[in-house]
Order: sequence, then C-alpha cells, then structure tokens
Amino acid sequence: MARPRLPHPPLALTLASVTSAGASLLLLASLAAPAAVAGCAGGLPPPLPAESPENAPPRRGGTLRMSSFGDIRGLDPANIADGLVSTLHQLLFAGLVDFDDHGEVVPRLAERYERSSDGRTYRFFLRKGVLFHDGTELLADDVKRSIERALHPSAPNPYASFFASIRGYDAFAAKKTEDLEGVRVEGTYVVSITLVEPDSTFLPLLAMQILRPVCKSGGRRYTDTFQACGAGPFKLPEGGFLRGQSVTLLRHDGYYEAGKPYLDSIVFSFGVTISAAKYKFLNGDLDTLRDLTQGDVLAFQRDPRWAPYAAYDRERQIMGEAMNTELAPFDNVEVRRAVAAALDRSHYEKVKPTTLRAATQPIPPGTPGYDPSLRGQEHDLAAALEHMKRAGYPYDPATKTGGYPKVIPYYTYRQGVSEYTAQVFAQEVAKIGLRIELRLVNYPTYIAQIGRRGRVSVGPWGWSEDYPDAIDFLESLFHTKGIADEDASNVSFYRSPSFDGLVDAAKRELEPVRRKDLISRAVTKLCEDAPFAFAYSVRFYDIHQGYVRNYRVHPVWPLDVSFAWIDRANANARTHAVSPTHAPLGSLLHR
Amino acid sequence: MIRAAFTRLAHGLAVLFATVTLAFLVNDVVPSDPARMVAGAQARPAEVEKVRRELGLDRPVPVRYALFLRRLIHVRVGVGVKGDSNEEHVTCGTLGPLHVDLGKSYQQRRPVIDILAERLPRTLFLAVSAVLVQALLGIALGIYAAKNKRTAKDRITVGASLLATSAPTFMTGLLLQLVFAKGLGLLPLDGYGATLRDHVVSVVLPALTLGLFGAALYTRLTRDEMLSALSQDYVRTARAKGLGELGVARHALRNVLVPLVTVVGLDLGALVSGAAVTETLFRWPGLGSLAVSALLDRDGPVLMGTVLVTCTGVVLSNVFVDLAVRQLDPRTRAERSK
Repeated sequence: MARPRLPHPPLALTLASVTSAGASLLLLASLAAPAAVAGCAGGLPPPLPAESPENAPPRRGGTLRMSSFGDIRGLDPANIADGLVSTLHQLLFAGLVDFDDHGEVVPRLAERYERSSDGRTYRFFLRKGVLFHDGTELLADDVKRSIERALHPSAPNPYASFFASIRGYDAFAAKKTEDLEGVRVEGTYVVSITLVEPDSTFLPLLAMQILRPVCKSGGRRYTDTFQACGAGPFKLPEGGFLRGQSVTLLRHDGYYEAGKPYLDSIVFSFGVTISAAKYKFLNGDLDTLRDLTQGDVLAFQRDPRWAPYAAYDRERQIMGEAMNTELAPFDNVEVRRAVAAALDRSHYEKVKPTTLRAATQPIPPGTPGYDPSLRGQEHDLAAALEHMKRAGYPYDPATKTGGYPKVIPYYTYRQGVSEYTAQVFAQEVAKIGLRIELRLVNYPTYIAQIGRRGRVSVGPWGWSEDYPDAIDFLESLFHTKGIADEDASNVSFYRSPSFDGLVDAAKRELEPVRRKDLISRAVTKLCEDAPFAFAYSVRFYDIHQGYVRNYRVHPVWPLDVSFAWIDRANANARTHAVSPTHAPLGSLLHR
Repeated sequence: MIRAAFTRLAHGLAVLFATVTLAFLVNDVVPSDPARMVAGAQARPAEVEKVRRELGLDRPVPVRYALFLRRLIHVRVGVGVKGDSNEEHVTCGTLGPLHVDLGKSYQQRRPVIDILAERLPRTLFLAVSAVLVQALLGIALGIYAAKNKRTAKDRITVGASLLATSAPTFMTGLLLQLVFAKGLGLLPLDGYGATLRDHVVSVVLPALTLGLFGAALYTRLTRDEMLSALSQDYVRTARAKGLGELGVARHALRNVLVPLVTVVGLDLGALVSGAAVTETLFRWPGLGSLAVSALLDRDGPVLMGTVLVTCTGVVLSNVFVDLAVRQLDPRTRAERSK
C-alpha cells in the first residue's frame, strides 16, 4: 500500500514511516547539519539540464539513483509494512490493474476486464506473452496462486482483511479451506474474482500492490526467504538487496511493453541522512531528492531555475485531534463540537508552512472523494463558546473564568511535528476554557496506548491513504467495526449507526453520483459529531535533476519512476566526490 | 594465569545472565506493543491480533522467558529424532551439535543470528579502526605534549584535545563530512560499499570521528602519566647515566602502558556495542544502528541479540584487560600470588 504505517505529520512521515531508521538520531543529525553548514551553503547550484529538446524520444540506458533516510523490511508484496517499499514494489511487480496518470484504474497485465451485471464478479483477460523476471509466462493460475499466497493466514500480510469481500475469504482466513473460493481460473488466460456483495473499493484495492502476481518461485504460500520476482519493469538481481544499505534493480528485458523501461538500472539507497542526501543531490550523486528540511524546501522554491523540476505531490494524509467519545469531557458531543470550532487551522500551518495545510474534513484533498464544496469544521470562536455553554461549561474569555473544571491530559509523542502541534492545540482550546496538560511519550508507546480502550482522552492521530478512496479514511477511522479493546483503528471509539450505514452503503454503491452523495452525507455527519477535530493535511516536496525525464508526480504512488529516463549521455560516468567507488582516495587504493 | 582467566570468565557469565534477564524483563515492562509495531499503525485489530499470535506475544512473560532461555543455547542430539524437525532449528547458529538460537527478528523476519553475523564484523571493523586512531594519535600527541611541557606546543596540544573532547561526535562527523567529502572530495560522504576497497575507504571518516574524541582523552591521559613517569627517580638515574631522550621516553612509556591498556581495552569493549550516532550519520550498517532501530521498533529478539553480543564484548574486553595488566605489571602478579 502506499504508506501503510503513517498516521503521522510530515516530518514524522519521514521518520516513522520507515523501519530500522534510528529515527531520533537521524533527526538529530539532520537538524544539526543545516546549522553546521549554514555559513558554507551559499546559493544553490543550477540544476543539471537535459541534453535533448523537450519532445525528444526517450533514450535507453543510465542509472537512476534515489535515496531515503528510511529503510525497508523486505520486498515481498504479501508483507507490506512500511511506507517506503511501495516505490520498489511498483518497479518489481505489475498488477492486473493499475492507476494511470490521473489516478483512474486501468488494465495492465490484464488486457481488459469486465464486471458482471450484479457488480459482484470481475473477469480479467490476461495479456498473452507476459513474462515474469524468471522468463516464465504469466498465466491465470499464477494470479490465483499469488492472491491465495498473499491472503493466506500464514502470510504476515497486515492488509489481508481489506479483501474480505472476496467470496470464501472468511473460511480461507480461518484455515477451513486451502482454496479461496471466490478466485477462479476460467482458462489459461482468464481469471475471475467473485465478491460476496458489490464493493466499490475492490478495484482500487486490487490496483494496489498486495495481490500482484509473483513468480512461481514465490510458491503457493508465503515464505520469509522469497527473492522478489514479479512481472514489473525492473527485476532484482541476486545480491541486489543489501539490507540496511540499498536495493539495485535491473531492467526487465522481457517486460510486456516493448521498448520499456528505459533505464538500465535503479539504485535506491537507505538510511541516507537528510543533509547527506542534499549534498549528494547537489553534487550529482543522486538524481532525485525527497527528504528535505523546511529550509531546503524554501531555498529550492526561491530559486526559479529549479521550478521546472520540483513539485508537491498529492495530499494523501490527514491529521487531527482524536477525541475519545467514551471519556469525559469528550463523551459530550457539544465539547467535541466546541473543540472543532475553536481550532484556527492556520496556526497549525505555521508549524511547518511548506508541508502542512489546514484541513477541515476527514478526506485529504488528494484522495478521490474529497469534496472542496463541503464546509467541514470551520474556525468560529463564538460558536465554540456557545457549544461549551450548551455542554454545561460556559467560559468567559474576558475574565478567563468558567470552562471545564479539570485538567485534560493530552498524549503526544516526540517524533515529527506532533509535539509542536500539541502546543498549538493547547493554546487554541484554552480560549474556550479547556486546560490541557501535555504528556509526551515515545511513538511505540503512543500507538499502543491510543488504540487501547479507556486510555487516551485526546491526542493527535491521522490516516495515510491505504488505497485512493474516501472509504479508506471513513471506514478505518470512524466505523464501529474499527472499535476493539486493544488495537482499535477507530481511536475515538466513535459509534454512529447512521454513519456506519452511510459508509456501508457508499462502499456497496457502484453508481458514481449516488456514491458521492452518500460519502458527502457521511463526511457531513462526521464533521457535526466531531470525533476528530480535523487539523491539517500533509504534502511532500519532490525535486529531480533536469536530465531526469518522464519523472512526474503520480496521483497514487509516492514515486513512480518505472518509465523515467536519463537524458544525459555521461550522467553516470561523472566523477563524484561522495560515493565510495568514486572517492579519490578509493581510487588510489584501487591502484 | 589460566585459572585467573577462568575465574574472570565465570564472573562474566554471571554478568551476562543477569544482563540478559534484566533486558528481557525491561523490554516487556515498557508499555508498548511489538505486534502493533510489526503490523503497522494503521493495521486493523484482527491483523494485529494475528501478528501477536504468530510471534507468540500472547503468551505470559515467564513462559516466553523460559522458552528464550531454553532455546538460547541447546544441544541438538541428532537429526531425525522424534519431535525434532529441521524447522525448529532454522533460526539457530550451529557449532557442531551446539546450537545458539536468538529467534527471528519481528521486523526483518530473519534469524537474529544471521543479522548479527552480518553486522558484527562491520562494527568490529569500525571499532578496531577507531581504537587504532585514538590510540596512535592520542599516545603520540600525549608524548609530544609531555616532552614539550609548559611550552606553546604543549598548550596547543592540550587545548586541541579539550576541544575534541568537548565537541559532540555528530558535530565532528558533520564537519569531517563537510571538509573531506563535500569540500575536498577525498573520501565518501557515507555508506559501507560493496567491496573491500569500499569498506576501507568508507571507514576512514567514521573511524576518525570516533577516534578524534577518544584520542583527545588519550592525549591528556598519556601526557599526565608521562609527566608523572618522567619525574620518577629511575628516569633521573637513566638520564644521569647518559641515556638519550628517546630511550628515556621508551622506559617511561612502558610504565604508562598499564593505564593506557586498561582504557583501550575498555574502549574497545564499549565500541563493540556500536556507536549509534556515528553509525547513523555515516550510514554504517553496524550493531549500534541496529540496536537503536530494534529499540524503536520494539524488535525484542534483535534487541536481546545486541544486548548479548555487546555484553559479551564488554565482558571479554574486561577479561583481556585484567590479563594484559597482569602481564605488563609484575607488581600485580606478585600481589595476587601473595
């Protein structure tokens, strides 16, 4: 999935989304770096330009070099549990369907697909001659095998239950059968998937990377030792994955789209500190740059020469203040409404203006289903005070008397911007007579505590898009079925049968206009009941060198460089100061 | 000598057991949820529960601890014995029939033994390089300062060592990166590389970062010890007998070695635990960064593995120091034999 582990604000996204990051240390080093080099940085060098005109045909060859300070756990699509790996999955594994440049689901390994009139069965007609990285042909049986492999209870797949609408899933997940009834091979190149009921989220979910076909070497059941092998445009050579260091991918010459991909290889390095990544990028040792400090973003934005090569990606993450509807004073809907109306979201933006954008509703602007015409939760201090009065806690801002009599503990964690937005929250709600005591814990403790019943009355929480659909946010965060004594995803423990009904109906509804209406009503209901005070959405800034062509911000994938190409004949032959193989002292040793 | 070594090792084993037990309990007392960390913050309750069961985290702590101890070091009597399948031993490191099993990493889903085997040599490489830097540089500068006591050279050396001791390692590292990698382009900015040549080139800056800090301490220690030694009667006698300054220094240095060896040994032991900040800054994939990430991810088996390895390193370095001091200082042997 795109960013499965990331209910965090932007900096947290960079720090907490990834495994094995040594996040605090990276943060320390990264924050210290700009200070250390501030006097030496000067102006930015110009971007390295492309050699050919804009409309030149793609050129084959070259290596694209990318990095992140994060790390990945593994490369198996049946075990996606970090935010970074989706970029690599997109290169290694191709799906029956995928998202096009507008975020629409389109056939990919399937030549076409059709939906039955009752909306429950999808029939996929595979392209003939599609080759896996090991040279074998993709057949319908491989599709069924890969789906069963990813959804089998023995696989550590944290997203298996997203596909619970496939017929027979429950019996399969309970190990009552080894055959997933709803997935049927109907011919060498035809496979069908039958659902228990119409599900409008099924195709977007299928277009994600979890169920993408893997080579026969992947077997029928998940193993920890699988060498990533699929039908994507790039393949993983033996020894290409150096854990904690890098992944090197090579072009899959048997890729089904003739002439593609263009790059010879892609090298993705992990654990690169923000300061080191910037040095490398400016020195020409990295071709793209995504992990940036706020100062760096501003520097690039100020320089018009970099404007053509920089862009924000879609906002796919929403953050807010989760209020536990089972704990006082937030069990009182008027208090929740007061908080939602008290927040001046522009103050949140000021914490990190290049990344945070004020949000008033649960769907981030980049996710399909977002409706800009909805007013959502607007800042209105007078209304907030009125809600406090109705709640029984009138507050007089002039004399600063009244309000809720007790101090409310607010839990947050020392990672990303949450500890700073916590202070914004405390200041905002103080204006309506709510006194907050900030309690800082570490991130693992926080995510364990907030999902535990009766523990956290209020704290920051959010959601990163698992799949591009509004239902992902509404169902995961606010549906009653997300409530549990432990590990609740509905962390505000919000229960509303009418809201659940709207979400369930929208999920079943395949007609776009009716579906949009149901989602709008659900969002409106949510904004009124205010289990969350929605605060801000998150966006990321992305830069590449001018010679990296066909590099675009994708509406779904954080990065999709499948068909990028290098428009610089000697781009990867230059001598660079900062890679082990090119350092002059290294060259001396070599002699 | 051998008896002393065995006594020290026996003490070390007791320390190991206590440390491992404490680490296991502390890891469990912390109010967090490893299953949640594995499944991800956005996983649904059922998925987290599945992970919890799979990792055995639904069992009581005493049961898990007993299982951990039982598996930690065990003997595999023979293949094919009933109830003893190969699958039970896939996470073991083997030494003939003797098996060491630290389990499987929650996050990486690989045997912890394999992860440690991958990381430990890199950390040892960095630790030994750093100790070499600090010992050679520190001792040389200490002797230089002592020989030039109360001169400008002495004051500059002592002042520089004070600066190096005061500077946080991440700042030293950043400055070295800035000068030698970004500025002069002589050395790689970070990374470990894929070949031996890459490793050797890549270790220079992190070893210097760690070494400069240690060298500063060694400089001051060596200088003070040398000054003390040079004022001893035997040195005056040696000079009166016409021994040159180099010879005098050699005599004095032998007496300075006892405290130095003690500090070098202990430093090496400490560095085996990994230098988390330096490793992170230079993207050096050693034990330090592994321990930090395991701690942040609540990856219990990896955490226990790193605790075990680092504790063993410290214990062994202590044993080594004790034995080395016995050899270097005859008085110690004489005292103990009494």
